[in-house]
Amino acid sequence: MDDTGNIVLQIDRLKKSFGKYKVLTDVSYSLPKGEIAAIIGPNGAGKSTFFNLITGYHLVDGGTIRFMGREITNWPRHRIARTGISRAFQVSNIYPRLTTFENVRQAILSQQRRTLNIFTPAHRLARKNTLELLELTGLLPYRDTLAGILSQGDKKKLELALALAGKPELLLLDEPTAGMSSEETHETMELVKRLNREIGLSILFTEHDISVIFGYARKLSVLYQGMVIAEGTPEEVRKNEEAQKCYLGEEV
Amino acid sequence: MKNKYLFPLILFLLAVVLPYIVPEFWVHVLTEILIMGLFAASFNMIFGYMGQLTFGHAAYYGVGAYTTGLLMVKANVPLLVCLPLSMFSAGLCAAVLGYFCVKLRGIYFAILTMAFGQLVYYIIFQWYSFTGGDNGLQGIVPPAFLGRAANPYYFFTLIVVALGMIALWIISESPFGYTMRAIRDNAERTEFIGINVQRYMHLNFIIAAMFAGLAGALWGPFNRSVAPDLCSWQHSGMPVFMTVMGGPFHFLGPLIGSAIYTMLMAFVTSFTEYWPMVSGIVIIVVVLVMPGGLLGLLGDRLPFLRKNERSAKETNG
Repeated sequence: MDDTGNIVLQIDRLKKSFGKYKVLTDVSYSLPKGEIAAIIGPNGAGKSTFFNLITGYHLVDGGTIRFMGREITNWPRHRIARTGISRAFQVSNIYPRLTTFENVRQAILSQQRRTLNIFTPAHRLARKNTLELLELTGLLPYRDTLAGILSQGDKKKLELALALAGKPELLLLDEPTAGMSSEETHETMELVKRLNREIGLSILFTEHDISVIFGYARKLSVLYQGMVIAEGTPEEVRKNEEAQKCYLGEEV
Repeated sequence: MKNKYLFPLILFLLAVVLPYIVPEFWVHVLTEILIMGLFAASFNMIFGYMGQLTFGHAAYYGVGAYTTGLLMVKANVPLLVCLPLSMFSAGLCAAVLGYFCVKLRGIYFAILTMAFGQLVYYIIFQWYSFTGGDNGLQGIVPPAFLGRAANPYYFFTLIVVALGMIALWIISESPFGYTMRAIRDNAERTEFIGINVQRYMHLNFIIAAMFAGLAGALWGPFNRSVAPDLCSWQHSGMPVFMTVMGGPFHFLGPLIGSAIYTMLMAFVTSFTEYWPMVSGIVIIVVVLVMPGGLLGLLGDRLPFLRKNERSAKETNG
């Protein structure tokens, strides 16, 4: 049976260099619809570059990226976001001079294609959806707080809220729990899991916290020196010798 | 009534009452404050809301001024028809020049806007047969129904500027206005929520130029003439000073800045020829003592001036 219809993200022979430094040498990857998967690897392995290429932040040197069967290689960032790929960044990338509410509302208005409206006051629009998303991400108590003065953990939650506001088919999370307390980490990953289970959202994340990786991902890929050296279920990757040698260590 | 409308209402009532109290010279000054206030507010759509410094905004002010001047002098077109046509011509000019400017950011944006501004200036300066070259255009007389006294044209200006400011306020509070704030705060993130940043910046550039054109259109009949200097980079510096003085993070900041700057100039030039030095000192003091402008400083103390938008110093972003 042809299962291409069941693949949300298909990447073939992806290459990226910065000058003489080859970051991704030949990466092929596929993510089934509704999957929750992690890309792991040491610092400098190319995980963030991998996300940057998928979302159009960097231009691809070689290879192709297909999303829901459609080639999106080197599309502009905003167009990729519109097709249904949302991203939360490793370092929180928010609107510091807007309130938490205004941050989320802005992303929702964009998803609703209402940002060209110059006549209606913004405060009258998307109020209900914004409050719902703030509640979902646990940010409702901080709705009137300037995003720039939120705690690091809350900024990461806001990152997630901005990504979810786009109603994506595929959610890319770059170290979603970095800077969070263990309680916040648990809450955030449980939310991610719930979204995956309830609305079938496909999720691909990078993470260094081994307990998060093995606790939530159903598929793991180990990226090392710009190549995928091991792939499979957490159990399969755990037993993979090369993955152990390059990243996981023997105690995992 | 909501507190946020109290301050603009006080200002408007003051603007209505003042011409009956002050001598005619100061009515001229008030008219200039209004025109330059609208010009500075349009500049602040790019500076305060979009986060880019333009040093060529006078080009669109000048295009608006020349559109009205040429139409009134050469074709006897009524002023009320000239105003929207001036907005259109300034917008059209910005659509072409802005297309290239919004590809750049920061200092490169500022330099390119200045270069294009100078280009417009030199075209007007050199095109004697059409624009009158460095002689400018004379004999731009306000319509008969406004009479020859200062007051009627002042009230006409007040109405047009008030409508222009209301339109800019509505735009600034709309989803489009918030998209500009988002671009100012974090253009990169704005792309990742699906917004074509360059296209939105271009649209905002055009809108800002249209209102600069409207302000320019009011200048010709007020001054009875227009000159190429209206497009010069020095003239582009005026809304920068005014906005910095008044407060770029408050909608009425540029208008307040226009009042301070214009009154200061009117006052200082009456007793010293070294007025540029005085204005320079004032600007240095404002930048050092009130980085958020006058309204930024007062906003921290007076609740009715407190703005929705917080200044950068309140956040660590």
